[in-house]
Amino acid sequence: MNADVPGNRPQHGLQLSKRARRLRRLGSLAGQGFLLLITSLSSLAVLFIFIFIAKDAIPFFTLRGFAEFFTSTRWYPSSQPPEFGVLSIFFGSGIVTLGAIIVSVPLGISAAVCLSDVLPFHLRQMVKPVIEMLAAIPSVAYGFFALVVLAPMMQEKGGSVLAVLAWCIGAPAAVLVVLVLSEVLSGGMPVRFRGAGRYGVGAALLGLAGWGLWRASAFLNAIVIPSGTNALNASVILGIMALPTVVSVSEDALQAAGRDLRMASYALGATRAETILRVVIPAAISGITSAVILGIMRAIGETMVVWMASGNAAQIPTPWFDFLQPVRTLTATIAGDMGEADHVTGSARYHVLFAMALCLLAFSFACNLASEMVVRRTKRRAG
Amino acid sequence: MSSRSTRRILDRAFTGLGGFSTLLLAAALLVILVPILIKGFGAFVFRETVEHRRMLLDLYETGDRAAVETEVAAAAKAREPVYAMLGAFKKEVEALPAPERRKLKSDCKDLEKALNSLLGPAPGTTQPILLRQRYGQNRWDRAQVAIGKVLYEEAYDYSDSSQMGKKILVPRVERFRGTSLEPLFDYVRDQSKAMLLPRWIFYGGFLTHTSRDAHFFGGIRAEVLGTFYLTLGAMLFAVPMGVIAAIYLVEYARDNWLNSLIRSCVSTLAGVPSIVFGLFGLAFFINTIHVSGSKSVLAGSLTLGLLILPTLIRASEEALRAVPHTYKQAALSLGASPWKSITTVILPAALPGILTGIVISMGRAAGETAPIIFTAAVSVGQPLTLLKTLTQPTPALSWNIYNLCTEHEAVDEIRHVQYGMVFTLVLLVLLLNLSAIVIRARLSRKLRV
Amino acid sequence: MKVKRWITVCALAAAMAMNAGAEKKGNIVMDGSTTVGPIAKAFAEYYMGKYPGVNISVSESGSGNGAKSIINGTADIGNMSCAMKDSELEAAKSKGVKVMEHIVAMDGIAIVVHPGNPVAALTVEQLRKIYTGEIGNWSQLGGPNKPVVVISRDTNSGTYETFETLVMHSERMTDKTEYVGSNGAIRQRVMTTDGAIGYVGLAFTHGLKVVDIDGVTPTPESVLDKSYPIGRPLYMYTNGEPAEGTVLAEFLGLYKTSDGKKIIEEQGFIPMP
Repeated sequence: MNADVPGNRPQHGLQLSKRARRLRRLGSLAGQGFLLLITSLSSLAVLFIFIFIAKDAIPFFTLRGFAEFFTSTRWYPSSQPPEFGVLSIFFGSGIVTLGAIIVSVPLGISAAVCLSDVLPFHLRQMVKPVIEMLAAIPSVAYGFFALVVLAPMMQEKGGSVLAVLAWCIGAPAAVLVVLVLSEVLSGGMPVRFRGAGRYGVGAALLGLAGWGLWRASAFLNAIVIPSGTNALNASVILGIMALPTVVSVSEDALQAAGRDLRMASYALGATRAETILRVVIPAAISGITSAVILGIMRAIGETMVVWMASGNAAQIPTPWFDFLQPVRTLTATIAGDMGEADHVTGSARYHVLFAMALCLLAFSFACNLASEMVVRRTKRRAG
Repeated sequence: MSSRSTRRILDRAFTGLGGFSTLLLAAALLVILVPILIKGFGAFVFRETVEHRRMLLDLYETGDRAAVETEVAAAAKAREPVYAMLGAFKKEVEALPAPERRKLKSDCKDLEKALNSLLGPAPGTTQPILLRQRYGQNRWDRAQVAIGKVLYEEAYDYSDSSQMGKKILVPRVERFRGTSLEPLFDYVRDQSKAMLLPRWIFYGGFLTHTSRDAHFFGGIRAEVLGTFYLTLGAMLFAVPMGVIAAIYLVEYARDNWLNSLIRSCVSTLAGVPSIVFGLFGLAFFINTIHVSGSKSVLAGSLTLGLLILPTLIRASEEALRAVPHTYKQAALSLGASPWKSITTVILPAALPGILTGIVISMGRAAGETAPIIFTAAVSVGQPLTLLKTLTQPTPALSWNIYNLCTEHEAVDEIRHVQYGMVFTLVLLVLLLNLSAIVIRARLSRKLRV
Repeated sequence: MKVKRWITVCALAAAMAMNAGAEKKGNIVMDGSTTVGPIAKAFAEYYMGKYPGVNISVSESGSGNGAKSIINGTADIGNMSCAMKDSELEAAKSKGVKVMEHIVAMDGIAIVVHPGNPVAALTVEQLRKIYTGEIGNWSQLGGPNKPVVVISRDTNSGTYETFETLVMHSERMTDKTEYVGSNGAIRQRVMTTDGAIGYVGLAFTHGLKVVDIDGVTPTPESVLDKSYPIGRPLYMYTNGEPAEGTVLAEFLGLYKTSDGKKIIEEQGFIPMP
């Protein structure tokens, strides 16, 4: 009231500042509100996506129920009458992701260990950005490689590609295993014979490993790959694609475990291997788990590579672990079948794709939740 | 339990395992990247034939007209004997008895087809309607394949029916033994260079020329431009939102349920598969709010923008958090309002981090394919002007790589274009990322001083 | 004398005006079948070469998408390799879209195998058995002992639908069937895969071995006189008949011109007589 008639009384400095402060607070509140608005807009996007996908997915379930979708393997969306069994497609997504994990997780984690604890610091400084750069290579380039280079190679050379691969991975691995085993086995011998025994056992084991590899490669060599676009092709390429992510994130986690921890372990007389395996990795396990989860998410959500390289046959191969058979994945089905998708007529054909998308969404949501929980639990334990 | 030497060996083996995996990782990536980069380079640097120079002059008006014309004349001179022999043969055939004549005529037709594909239409014949048939082989590597097709016929030997037929090459000359066409084959083989005049060039037009006749000729201008627009549009949409959201989350958000919900939303958004973004873009931007009548750059940009939003928010958040608290406290103690302290002190300090995030997500937006399939990409289209991006769809590098290597009717003939596109896209993304690294290094050094 | 000059000037002006009229501008968006794709792309190239001011964009995303984009009004021309279904026509009607059908060419669906495959002829019956999975090895057909790799177009394509009606008679394809997105992709897969069998439009048989069906080789003649059992017309759909004199009308009319017919023929299709 006083402020309304300024001429009547001499103005109180305090009052003015009160008013100004109120204005200022209002302004800052409005500003904050605006910021909140923009922020929630961007997070509303995800709700929007959920709503829009769900809106078009629910009609499918009301039309056809749940049982067929989740339990049947017969996928004939355009036949009369149509059948929408998505089980084999779920399986396809699953097996390709499994393959990608088999390729990328052991390789990725051991490479991350090598980067964080074995390589000298300046080399690490150089390698890390390169790996991060590789994570950015577009998936369509990987898909192009899978379709144009790898698939014809697999078909023409057949099993010999696998054999060469087996040697590349098996031979060094075998040498390492032999080294360790011969040491362990000869450890029980009397000291006098230990040196000779170690070499003897080593040679024998090496021979054994060589023979095994030889047999394995002969077996692989005989395999004929009828179709180069198959689960193996997609898995390998997806695995390689996920590698940079896995390496980079788990390397961060290993680094975050801290120098003190390592120093303490070394001070107790542990070797580097013991330090890493028994101390650093357990400390960094939450980060490594999120790296694996990220890798899984990358693999299952990837479209172009699987579309181009997996063969797109809606089947569960027999036996189920036959990676040389073509499979079909959720993402590729959405991309390939959306062309039909006569949403104007509102057919089950259109809505089933949204139902698949909803499943993908649910899965990635679950993955997110899982990784958050892992992080939270370790935090609590650490705290 | 174990002796010292065992532990040492175990340790060594462990180190070896790490090194081995790193090597394997590097090898795998090299195996993928090297062929792409080498063959992609071949789209820019290759041996062009005189037909390529003629095509460039006709369709793009590049090149020295006089020089090209003399070369075309020289090549035509070298080709003269070929057509003379063909003419003589045709006259000779007319004199033969009917069954033999028919057979030779059909053989000759096949030969002419192979020759046309190598050298272009014969002089004096009507100009074909399809552009791809108006010129001979543009590239010397393709020309050699075409020469092979002139000299040899592919046939399959099916004599062993329990096996797949074996490919055999039958010299075409066998069919024309004793006719006036017999010397043609030796002539084509020996004089192919004189007829096509191959020369090494650097074809920079691959980036700046619009493709003609479904990528048979020219470059990838429309695709490059399309990718550029899509990426730029996505950034225009996502950068302000991303940075503002990050500012809110770092500077204002208190620890309550709303903000933790927002945070979960952002991390969920980051995990949404890209194809789902594509579906959403189609269902929302095009079919529900109708941002454009058909697929368009605008709709694609919005979809891509949504896709990179979480990446941007995270990168900016990290960058903002990395700014020391003392900066803000100092600004506040000098009497600056919180907002002022953010815009004048914290944001500039966080700029390198934010910029890195922007550049990295630019790379991501440029390379994504799945979100633009239903919202923006077409397989053939002209380069767009800025205004048209609001309503028109566009070709884009990522989509057209897929399109050309699966859907095109002549996949093999234009392999070099596909490799060139992949090369361009990969290089673009890698350069963007490289510049992000450089920005980060340089700006952070400057700030430290 | 003066009159004559005037006439010349008038004629010149008229000619210039007509020239200006020839400088056409406009956008045409085409979407739909990959089979019709080569015709659409070649028409676009031909037309844009004639009128640089016109921008024609072509997507090849499947016939289903062609119908959809016409119904939704997201394209000017919907390319389809099968006629619109009743459900689609109804949807169009309810949206107030007057669907106009233009048959631009005929096409035979060629059954293709790897060129090294000695099998040269099949019956429709055998073909169906291959696709249902009953015949799983080429040795059952007198060929080499190789498993059959069955390759089909994705279910969104008109080629798939035609094949399903004319060959499968609504029997189900085996679940081992590999689905690919386009004619080009089938060609690519069959060319590089020994035991593969696939079906493509006639324009895509280059480099493959075309199998005779019921003793008939797919040629323009045998498709036109229907002695070859798997043939179909190719369509372009529009929303209403485009107004006379517009860019769209002229572009759409290309298939009736002699140049258009030549393009269709050179692309490996059969122009309408």
